[in-house]
Amino acid sequence: MKIHTYEKLWLGAAMVLIVALIATITYGAVGLGISMVDDEEETIDPDALDEDDRFNDPRVEHVGENEYEAYVVARTFMYQPDPIEVPANSEVTFYVTSTDVIHSFSVVGTNINTMVIPGEVSSMTAEFDEPGEYGVVCNEYCGSGHHTMEGQLHVVPEDEFDMTELEVEGDDEVAEDDEVTLNVSVENGMLDDLETTIEAEIGEETFEEDVTVEGDSTYETTITVDAADLGEGDHDWSVTVDDYEDSGTVTVVDDLEDDGGDDDE
Amino acid sequence: MRVSKEALLIILAFIAPIIVELRTVLAWANIELTVLESVVLGLAIVALVLVWAFFPEDESSSETPERQLSNGD
Amino acid sequence: MTMSESGGTYIDNFPAEARVVRSALYSSFLALALGGLFGIIQTLHRTDIYRFIESDMYYTVLTAHGVFLVVTFTIFFLVGVFTWAVTTSLDRGVEDIRFTWLWYGLMTIGTVMAAAAILAGFTDSIDMSADVLFTFYAPLQAHWLFYLGLVVFVVGTWLAGADWFRSWWAWKQENPDERIPLPTFMVLTTMLMWYIATIGIAVSILVFLLPWSLGIIDSVNPTLTRTLFWFWGHPVVYFWLLPAYMMWYVMLPKISGGKLFSDPLARVVFILFLLLSTPVGIHHQYLDPGIAEGFKFIAMTNTMFLLLPSLLTAFTVVASMEHGARQRGGTGYFGWLKALPWRDPVFAGMALAGLMFAAGGFSGMINAGMNINYLVHNTLWVPGHFHLTVGTASALTFMAATYWLLPQLTGKALWNRSVALVQVVLWFLGMTFMSNSMHRAGLLGIPRRTAEPQYQGFEFEAGVGSVAELDFQLALGGALLAISIVLFLANVVGTAFNGRSDDLPANEFAETLSGPEDSPQVLDNLKLWTAIAVVLVILAYSFPLMSIVDRGGLYGPDISPFPVSIETLSLLAFTLEQYTTAAIATTGEFVQTTLTGVIR
Repeated sequence: MKIHTYEKLWLGAAMVLIVALIATITYGAVGLGISMVDDEEETIDPDALDEDDRFNDPRVEHVGENEYEAYVVARTFMYQPDPIEVPANSEVTFYVTSTDVIHSFSVVGTNINTMVIPGEVSSMTAEFDEPGEYGVVCNEYCGSGHHTMEGQLHVVPEDEFDMTELEVEGDDEVAEDDEVTLNVSVENGMLDDLETTIEAEIGEETFEEDVTVEGDSTYETTITVDAADLGEGDHDWSVTVDDYEDSGTVTVVDDLEDDGGDDDE
Repeated sequence: MRVSKEALLIILAFIAPIIVELRTVLAWANIELTVLESVVLGLAIVALVLVWAFFPEDESSSETPERQLSNGD
Repeated sequence: MTMSESGGTYIDNFPAEARVVRSALYSSFLALALGGLFGIIQTLHRTDIYRFIESDMYYTVLTAHGVFLVVTFTIFFLVGVFTWAVTTSLDRGVEDIRFTWLWYGLMTIGTVMAAAAILAGFTDSIDMSADVLFTFYAPLQAHWLFYLGLVVFVVGTWLAGADWFRSWWAWKQENPDERIPLPTFMVLTTMLMWYIATIGIAVSILVFLLPWSLGIIDSVNPTLTRTLFWFWGHPVVYFWLLPAYMMWYVMLPKISGGKLFSDPLARVVFILFLLLSTPVGIHHQYLDPGIAEGFKFIAMTNTMFLLLPSLLTAFTVVASMEHGARQRGGTGYFGWLKALPWRDPVFAGMALAGLMFAAGGFSGMINAGMNINYLVHNTLWVPGHFHLTVGTASALTFMAATYWLLPQLTGKALWNRSVALVQVVLWFLGMTFMSNSMHRAGLLGIPRRTAEPQYQGFEFEAGVGSVAELDFQLALGGALLAISIVLFLANVVGTAFNGRSDDLPANEFAETLSGPEDSPQVLDNLKLWTAIAVVLVILAYSFPLMSIVDRGGLYGPDISPFPVSIETLSLLAFTLEQYTTAAIATTGEFVQTTLTGVIR
């Protein structure tokens, strides 16, 4: 076959370009460790996500020092959880699945970008060095409300980040001869112990308790005060743990309407 | 005319992408232009090309032969 | 190597064929008009410059824009120009004109069916819609008429291919020792690629989507139908592009005033497209879960090698143009560029299309890069890319070629050459603005296929300039393109109403500097190349498909996968084995023939 010299040169240069392109991508994958979304995750039943440990409660979990996992569900036309909150200086693995049609999970301005296919779980690991706020968009057409499908990813400064959850259950109405009780539970989602102080205020009374909540566990305590000390009327209460606060009002009544006096000793 | 009308059209077309992205290129050199400035700059470049194209090459050449050429083909 | 001894126009030599080709082209232009109209509505809507439809209707508009332009416009043009190429280069009419009308009719009926399903989405009074976009990814479901329309359309194209093969076989009986004329060779290799590629879409629609839309089966495996779509979805881009390549090879050198640089290399290029167009589709699925990284890597490697035929085309086309320019008296390293016939809209259009394709090729290399793709996947970058390829390399070349073909097909002179020149330049300008701003916006993460890329919770940040400027640039580009389409259609209509002209050039295509006699006979062995292409497709797709079926079930997760999938797996494995054996046998045979040929 007759090939002109210039053609041969061009052919050679073209091959060099092609091989170089493949080489740079291979280097990216092997040398820099940029990995692809692939088939390493097991398939999942998209109609039974509520029976799945990871996706029945979409959330962020602390799984190791500076390591977090985010379980995200995409559905028409929203993401759960929203916002996703992670600390700076962390390594986060996102697990994303869909309950209905094909979506995407694309963090704007980053290369965190994946298709989300019902029946499959996409996993990607990303490092967040700096705090910042990112938008999350669905860039795969998913139906008439596609353009409204968005979420947020908040990377908060490391020292402001915790996974503490405070929950307080208090009585609404208490007889004057009874006790007002507040059941306080402090959940620590981090793996490290949480040293903190539970501060409570009921009417004029104040309480303080230094506690250590072990990693990945919940500390429960009960605060009681004699209703008689508060006196008849409405009393505001509040419980504070770090930046979290729960509050409510309890009413101390003279005597409960139809109480037979048998609800307490 | 220095070039035919058709050639001028093609030249202007080729200049368009350069004008469009000139602002980005200049931003790399830390020269930041506003939209208005870059539009003015673009128009100035187009005007320059037009002046170059319409400015007679020398006094002796009349425009008639070129006119005929451009109608030909 | 010129054709008609008579030297007349196409309509003089093949009046019956000219009618079919004309009909195909007019159908194509009707689709262009509709698609263009939907295009400008979309542009103004998503940039928030002028919104007069509800945002949920945007997706009906987008589906219509995509389907009318990339399926109807391009493929109707293709069948027209391929019929012209085969009949001209073999210098014989089609074997049976009724058969030719049959496939044209099927394609038209298919288009009308699919179009009805899509356009019904605009009104609530008809309970029918197909707002699934051009890619129709399940579980999004269209009305069954949409899928059936696509089937009928594709069957039409299959018969069109059969028509051209029939012409070639008949010609071969009479010319047993001659090489296949280059244009016919290009048509045949392109169609072989098409037959292989359409297997994907045929299986996807006939086995899964159509029964599913009719309620015969309950569910589908979304990854499987998506993979089958891209099995066809990537080669279809070469189906759009190869008619443009053909015009660059057989028409552009002649219009430039010279000859085609190399016939053998042109053949090599088309063979490479036949071989490599299909086993690359998974590069559209780099971001899909459930597909192993290894399969993605194979698709990526194949894709990169697919650059080769395009790079070779760039060389041959530029070299042929330079040859033409030097024949016209051009001199110097770059000075010859001035000697090219820029005032000819046929030349200017094709040359500008080729230039923009080079830019599109570069953004395509980015897309093909497996890991860098994560930055741009499904952003506006991607439509920016393919508006340079199918939207310019193909569309603008088709329009420029029309300025040459239409007089041949009608016997009438072009209505207005100046308008034609302005039209192609406007397209270039409009596309510069539009695709440039799309690429830029994509880099900021602005998604494609979205009615309102304006979000509540965050804003896109531009490095230089602002998002508003990019939106303005996009809309400006879209408006120029719309004007360009209007000018084009005006020229087509004006020409149709012109009187017959006796002053038209003969129906000829470019001669070659280095002809087929310089290339080995094996290049014309279509069976060999088809066999290798099939083997490559099997290598690239059998394992991914088996793994997808194994993971998600043949009919999706709802229906228990085991009896079906095990059967299918063994069936697939069996087919694979059979094909490979057959292919190896054929390859061996042909290698032997080739070697003896070369040694002799």
